[in-house]
Amino acid sequence: MDVLQLAINGLALGAAYALVALGFVLILNATSAVNFAQGDLVAAGGFAAVAIAGLVPAPGIVLLPLVVMLMAAVGLVVCALAYWPLRDRPPVAVFISTIAVGIIIQNGLNGLFGAEPRTVPPVIAGGHLKVLGLVVAHQSLAIVAVAAILVTAVHIFLARTQAGRMMRATAQDRPVAAALGVPVAAMVALTFALAAALAGTAGLLLANQYFVTPTDGTNFIVKAYIAVVIGGWGRVGGALAGALLVALFETIVAAWAGHSVAMALLYGALLVILVVRPQGLFGEPVGRRA
Amino acid sequence: MSAATRIAAWLGRDLNAPLALGTVALVAWPLIGGDAYTLRLLTIAGIYALAALGYQFIFGHAGALSLAQGAFFGIGAYVAGILSVRTGAGFEITLPASILVTAGVACAVALPVLRLQSHYFALATLGIAQVVLLLAVNWVTVTGGANGIAGIPALELFGWSVGRGWPMLVLVWSIVAAGALLARRLIRGLAGPALALLREQPLAADAAGLDAGRLRLVAFVMSAIYGGVAGALQVHTVRVVSPEVLEFPVMVALLAIVVIGGRTSAAGAILGAILLIHLPEWFRPLEKYYLLAYGVALLATIVAAPWGLIGAARRLRARLFPEAPPAPPAARAVAPRPARAALEIRALVKHFGGVEAIDGVDLVVAPGASIGIIGANGSGKTTLLNLIAGAERPDSGRIDWGGRDIAGMRPGLIAAAGIARTFQGVKLVDDLSVLDNVAAGRWRGWRDASLALAHGEAMALLDRVGLGADPWQPCGALPPGLRRRVEIARALIGRPSMLLLDEPAAGLTGAERQELAALLRALAGDGLTLIVVEHDLEFLEGVAERLICLERGRIIADGTAADIRRDPAVIAAWLGSVPATTPAGG
Repeated sequence: MDVLQLAINGLALGAAYALVALGFVLILNATSAVNFAQGDLVAAGGFAAVAIAGLVPAPGIVLLPLVVMLMAAVGLVVCALAYWPLRDRPPVAVFISTIAVGIIIQNGLNGLFGAEPRTVPPVIAGGHLKVLGLVVAHQSLAIVAVAAILVTAVHIFLARTQAGRMMRATAQDRPVAAALGVPVAAMVALTFALAAALAGTAGLLLANQYFVTPTDGTNFIVKAYIAVVIGGWGRVGGALAGALLVALFETIVAAWAGHSVAMALLYGALLVILVVRPQGLFGEPVGRRA
Repeated sequence: MSAATRIAAWLGRDLNAPLALGTVALVAWPLIGGDAYTLRLLTIAGIYALAALGYQFIFGHAGALSLAQGAFFGIGAYVAGILSVRTGAGFEITLPASILVTAGVACAVALPVLRLQSHYFALATLGIAQVVLLLAVNWVTVTGGANGIAGIPALELFGWSVGRGWPMLVLVWSIVAAGALLARRLIRGLAGPALALLREQPLAADAAGLDAGRLRLVAFVMSAIYGGVAGALQVHTVRVVSPEVLEFPVMVALLAIVVIGGRTSAAGAILGAILLIHLPEWFRPLEKYYLLAYGVALLATIVAAPWGLIGAARRLRARLFPEAPPAPPAARAVAPRPARAALEIRALVKHFGGVEAIDGVDLVVAPGASIGIIGANGSGKTTLLNLIAGAERPDSGRIDWGGRDIAGMRPGLIAAAGIARTFQGVKLVDDLSVLDNVAAGRWRGWRDASLALAHGEAMALLDRVGLGADPWQPCGALPPGLRRRVEIARALIGRPSMLLLDEPAAGLTGAERQELAALLRALAGDGLTLIVVEHDLEFLEGVAERLICLERGRIIADGTAADIRRDPAVIAAWLGSVPATTPAGG
């Protein structure tokens, strides 16, 4: 296949990964903890869409707000159960508690929906268009568009709104933010809600072309984790760029050498980056050592 | 003492009433309800206990969240499975092969991976596990691909076929018992406090010259070996090997076992494994959701009892039956090592981004001298100390210590060369006693791991710093002034020739400052070279014969306290404030 064609396919996958990585890095900055359940929240979002589509047959764009609200609520529950009681412990405690949340989500989904792959309706419609000899699925375009809109919305929220500023203040220095009257607990809860909603959206977007199974989470968390590491631990823009790089690498190398080889090379590249440039390709934010 | 009584005494030190009761219960269980299924589950629980005992080395003791333990387990299973099917080799061949391969893999990946910080280490080990899984799925000619290899024969040891049921159960649990004893031997003595320091305060462990890298390596390789042995036993128990053994659920099970049972006690690994392997059985009535119980148990433990079940039991016992602390150990004098080496710093430069933290410093410190370093916040005082101690690498310049350039060397090697340090924010293990905190600094390897010796020397140093009255209290209970002294005692137990102190008087009361100054004078009187970074000029006057003033990474004044007070450059740098009244701290 043409490299350009592959790049277009990779872009859609990368846009979805970017949503997952964005949620991961927002929680990382707010709590300095790794949310290992972020991948399972993607699968949860996919199955939420499956369930809602079963009740109301409608295109993905109609399901999206419902999935976002449902997943935001799940994010609040995750925060309350797996983060808030451990907020004063070393970050590794949250790493483990979110692994536990991941097990609960995986097995809960498996119990509710079974292990078979499921699919959801496309965002608007199936089909594809041909531009300059390239085949572009409508769904791919829709994924990129939805992701771009959401990333921009999150950016505007963080940069321009009072709540966003309070959230960033909480991420930067929690004791000082608390001393200045920022409702820190609410901001952390909001971060979890936002991260889960972003992951759930990615689940809805990907489940149409790639299907969704209860055990998909591990794949997504590994990809998001890698994206955040190569993008610079804690760097939001770096995480988005890292997600695109991971997806392009995965798509192009897989077409050339097979999926397993692509994955092995991805992990190999990750290990080399960790050893040679642990601050990531774009550097860690100055003064942060998580 | 005869060999038999010596062995009995050796074993006896590990025995206690709860352990004996637990063992009796464990033996009675299969005897009473001994159908084949019970025996099989208990055998598998033993195998997981062994892998979890190994996981405790790296995750529990060394405190590094490795996600590769499942991979080591799987590698052990594949190596033993492939060898026994292809060559018909017995366990006496396949077990050493499994050990060799897992230890080899661990050594090969350790070099790049072990120095990574926590979350990077977790991801790197996860990546390694995924590569191993991909290899198992795709290297079809050797591994059988996604289907794996079936028809693996029963375990055969020197021609004796170990059948299903009781024989396998007894063999597995004998190896578990041996593994548990070995694990307890390895962490007994000084290794326990040393590993606690490594896990809770890695920077302090480095600075104390603990050879943290080697400790971590031993922990990682031991975890791999235990994983490999467990895998080799697993493959002969379930009689098939497939990529499933390398998948994430196995890793999660081992993590859950260690978290739920207890991270550092062998009994915790065993109890955790028995519970976790039987949990799905007990929750069978939940049908499709029974594996949920697994996640719920893990979450509940990490939230409500992070020290695990064994830790919770110990806490309960300590509360119900408080034991009087033992008598303080007899002090053993630590001979001082008078400084013969001079420190010579030439054209030292360190930049952070665009900030020139140290911008061309030249400084010679004679053996036995006491130097004070003053300067405003951000003038480069702590950076200079970090460069000497190896916590930061200089961009250029030399640091000669006794004629050898130590610039850029690792902190552990610099500490071993005789340069000790304390930290601005005191770094102690709060759960450990004062005595153990000091003794931990003496760790130099398993050959010299006598806890009694280290306690004796620590006791002498605690007497010296005025903390000898209550050596068994935990450090977490100490006020700030006393915590500093524990850290100084820990620095001294490595018998340094030079001690670097970073704002030792910060946060101390006036009386505490005077006592600290008297202590430092006494240490200098023993011939120890001192470099003290401080804001409090009055305190420094009582300690140092010569003061250096830093400003924007350069030395702007060098002389006696009286010289420094009069120096126009110093007065200008401190914005006309009278240095003597400048508050300390920050």
